[in-house]
Amino acid sequence: MAKKIGVYVCECGTNIAEKVDIDKVIAAVSPIKDVEVAERHKLLCSDGGKEFIKQSIAEHGLTHVVVAACSPKQHEVTFMNVCEQAGINPQLSQLANIREQCAWVTSSAEEATDKAIRQIRAAISRVKYHAPLKKKEVVVSPDVLVIGGGIAGIKASQLLAAPDRKVYLVEKASSLGGKVKSFSKLFTNMESGSSLITQEIKSLLDNKNIEVLTESEVEQILGFLGNFEVKVIRKAEGKEQNFNVGAVVLATGFELFDPKGLPQYGYGKLDDVYTSLEFEEMNIPDGPTGGKVLLKNGKPPESVAIIHCVGREEKDYCSKVCCLYSFKFDRMLQSQLPGVKVSHFYSDLCIPGKSFQKFYEGTKEMGVEFVRSAKTEVTGNGKGLTVKYETEFGKQDSSTTDMVILLPAMESSGDAQKFAEMLNIPLDEKGFLVEEHQLLSPVSSAVEGIFVVGCAQGPQSISESIVQSEAAAGKILSALVPGRKLELEVRVSEISESLCLGCKTCIDVCPYGAITFDETRRISVVNEVLCHGCGNCAAACPSGAARLKHFTFPQIYQELKEVLR
Amino acid sequence: MVSPIKGAVFTAEGSTREIILAFIKQALGKDCFDAVLIPAKAPEGDSFSYLLIQNETILKDAHPICPIMPVQGAKALHSLTGRGKGKKRIAALLRPCEVRATVELFKLGQVDLENISLISIDCPGALPLADWVEDPQKAETVFLEVLKGEASESLRPVCQICDKFSTTGAEDLHIGTLGAKSGSIFLIPRSPKGEGILEKVGLPAKEDISGWEQTVNSLTEKRKGERKKFLEEFKSKATGLDNLLDTFSKCINCHNCMRVCPICYCRQCFFDSANMKFTCEDYLDRAETMGGLRLPPETLLFHIGRMLHMSLSCVSCGACEDACPTSVPVAQVFSLVGNKNQEEFDYVPGKSLDEPPPLRVYEEEEFEEVEQSCAGTSAKQEAQNA
Repeated sequence: MAKKIGVYVCECGTNIAEKVDIDKVIAAVSPIKDVEVAERHKLLCSDGGKEFIKQSIAEHGLTHVVVAACSPKQHEVTFMNVCEQAGINPQLSQLANIREQCAWVTSSAEEATDKAIRQIRAAISRVKYHAPLKKKEVVVSPDVLVIGGGIAGIKASQLLAAPDRKVYLVEKASSLGGKVKSFSKLFTNMESGSSLITQEIKSLLDNKNIEVLTESEVEQILGFLGNFEVKVIRKAEGKEQNFNVGAVVLATGFELFDPKGLPQYGYGKLDDVYTSLEFEEMNIPDGPTGGKVLLKNGKPPESVAIIHCVGREEKDYCSKVCCLYSFKFDRMLQSQLPGVKVSHFYSDLCIPGKSFQKFYEGTKEMGVEFVRSAKTEVTGNGKGLTVKYETEFGKQDSSTTDMVILLPAMESSGDAQKFAEMLNIPLDEKGFLVEEHQLLSPVSSAVEGIFVVGCAQGPQSISESIVQSEAAAGKILSALVPGRKLELEVRVSEISESLCLGCKTCIDVCPYGAITFDETRRISVVNEVLCHGCGNCAAACPSGAARLKHFTFPQIYQELKEVLR
Repeated sequence: MVSPIKGAVFTAEGSTREIILAFIKQALGKDCFDAVLIPAKAPEGDSFSYLLIQNETILKDAHPICPIMPVQGAKALHSLTGRGKGKKRIAALLRPCEVRATVELFKLGQVDLENISLISIDCPGALPLADWVEDPQKAETVFLEVLKGEASESLRPVCQICDKFSTTGAEDLHIGTLGAKSGSIFLIPRSPKGEGILEKVGLPAKEDISGWEQTVNSLTEKRKGERKKFLEEFKSKATGLDNLLDTFSKCINCHNCMRVCPICYCRQCFFDSANMKFTCEDYLDRAETMGGLRLPPETLLFHIGRMLHMSLSCVSCGACEDACPTSVPVAQVFSLVGNKNQEEFDYVPGKSLDEPPPLRVYEEEEFEEVEQSCAGTSAKQEAQNA
């Protein structure tokens, strides 16, 4: 079929017309072979302009369209849509950028006009070689992968699971419940954490729409919102499981800062110095002491010192929940060991919000001592422990105690790093996964379709973590409507089976994991659903086997030839 | 330097060639490998080619140090293992440049080295193929001089300036001939596989071979100086579009240089593909713009394209120049371009099997000076325009 090309030159108000002699341009390109019509317009991206092109296409029975206007970043899609509406495959159009790349940057009007003519000639020459690439769509996967079986992951899974939406909950440990499982009481209502989490886990396991994969690790996640391919290794069975989801929730939680790094607290060397988490575990009925607070010698302590902010200076942030749970410890100690002497050694207290002040004051009324201190140290002489410190007024002081509970900083779990690398999500300087925007987009990540909730993002209370899980669930529910379709990139890479020699260079340079190696045929193969069309493979392929559709050698050659002529 | 290299001394009767063959025979007998890939003289006596030998009686015709390089050894290994390894263990006796080309092919997945033992030999260089073809007997006499360390001016130009004629470090076993006493060779293991071979033949690498090392080092220094001097002189003759056009003006577009290049392994050369076939109109347009068009077209572009593709992996083996029927100094141009490009990436092709080719490595900050000079140019242009 004969090619009939329409060329439309935009004045862009005065943006282009002021520098480029458009009539001269039209006169220069009109006689070019296959150009059926060449016309100018005040503003092609306006409704009138779009209508003008559509009518012209119909009137002249055009097969290809060249628009000379602004940057493709701004209006390539606009004019592709115009073509589509007029019945031309949108890939059979080409936009020559004679505004940013010509009118705005060329000082002489004569030179600008000459350059615009070259650019349009190049576009005409190129568009003849365009292929009518077919539009491709995939139906979004409404399913969701939740990583981390702590309270944040459990709540997100419960909210998201529905008859038309499956949730895969992956936990690397052998059981669900995360850290909350070890909390015998929760602030401020002093309910049992372990029985609360047991209830939540039960309702989760009863939900047929949730597949729980414990003792499992996520090995690979490739894709984009609506279509992530996930590979999970089930360690217990030594099996690999693959599935497709539309979104991913990262709820990888936290670890406690290891106080062994700070020898002044004696942790790991002195008996009866515990971390907050070890104290929690001592209080749960099936814990190491059967729920009893006991010293190493088997006797209950008569005095307990609680030391705040262990590692705060080193970490350079406040973990924000330690003060609150320490007031919970006061109550747990008093109810189990009435009359026990409890002293807090702190430099600052963090008691935000509407209900915590009262919680703190209740603690003080119980007779708990609060000692403002600095440079706190713990020493032991075999009989008991001594807390040495500097008072508010700069004096040295000390007091003896039977037991010390350290409140270490909360730090990012090692998995944060793993998923940051796997998914290209930034980590902050403290090692936590970064939200897309602290204020406006607090649970999304930099990658569309990946959400970060709970302590993976930074220290949070249980209720804050749950709020984030709910927020992420809300975002996912509105984005992944079952049956919704996603349009795929059509300008993707393809690898010639007859030219590929299997050197795997393309696999190394693909940032999307879209190329795999077929061991039988010994060639690389592109997954068109994962390919974003960046062209790295086409550039790096030493044997010319990889090529990027719409940016093929003949297309680029034809374009360059006219620019340079 | 790290701790001095240790080696073994192998002694036997006869010439260096016969000593090497005696060692190979012994290694075959001790089950170090099942077959040998080695250059051998053609039955007519007028050429050499790589032979895959399983029967040790044929070994007598082998010439591990042969006067010419009609086939690049890496090319031979590529044809042998390009589609994966075989069941048997093969020892490949190669020149150091052939080992280095093999290493580059390995990185690109074009050879399988699992069942291969790479054995390199101190290389005296090779004579131009054309000289051999013209008068094999005379060439053989000249080569005997070369082996005595004389007549180096009769070697191929790239051999005269080769500074990587000995162990590369990437082979399994190196055979040292330089500075060896008459009736002996040095065996230097360069990998656990190589150590295994020496253990099996009962020659653990315990001897002090600093004499060999010193000879190699001093010749390397000398060659480095000669190489630098040569490339500097050659640069003034071959750089720039006009000089390149002159240098390649004799090219008859036969693409022999591409066919014999060990690194040029594409199934179809881009320049033979439909991508490079244009219409008569296209050529007329180009002739009009340029005032004339040489046909067949893309003669120089073919060489520039090859430089772009090959130069980071080019080991200066000289196969291309040997194959050129019109004596274009292809290998010398590639040495020059390769040297510069490899220096830019601080990359020595063939040095190590683990080092990835530069184009596969992403560096966030690279070539800042180029970026700056580009920025500088556009700033200058703006200033001129203003």
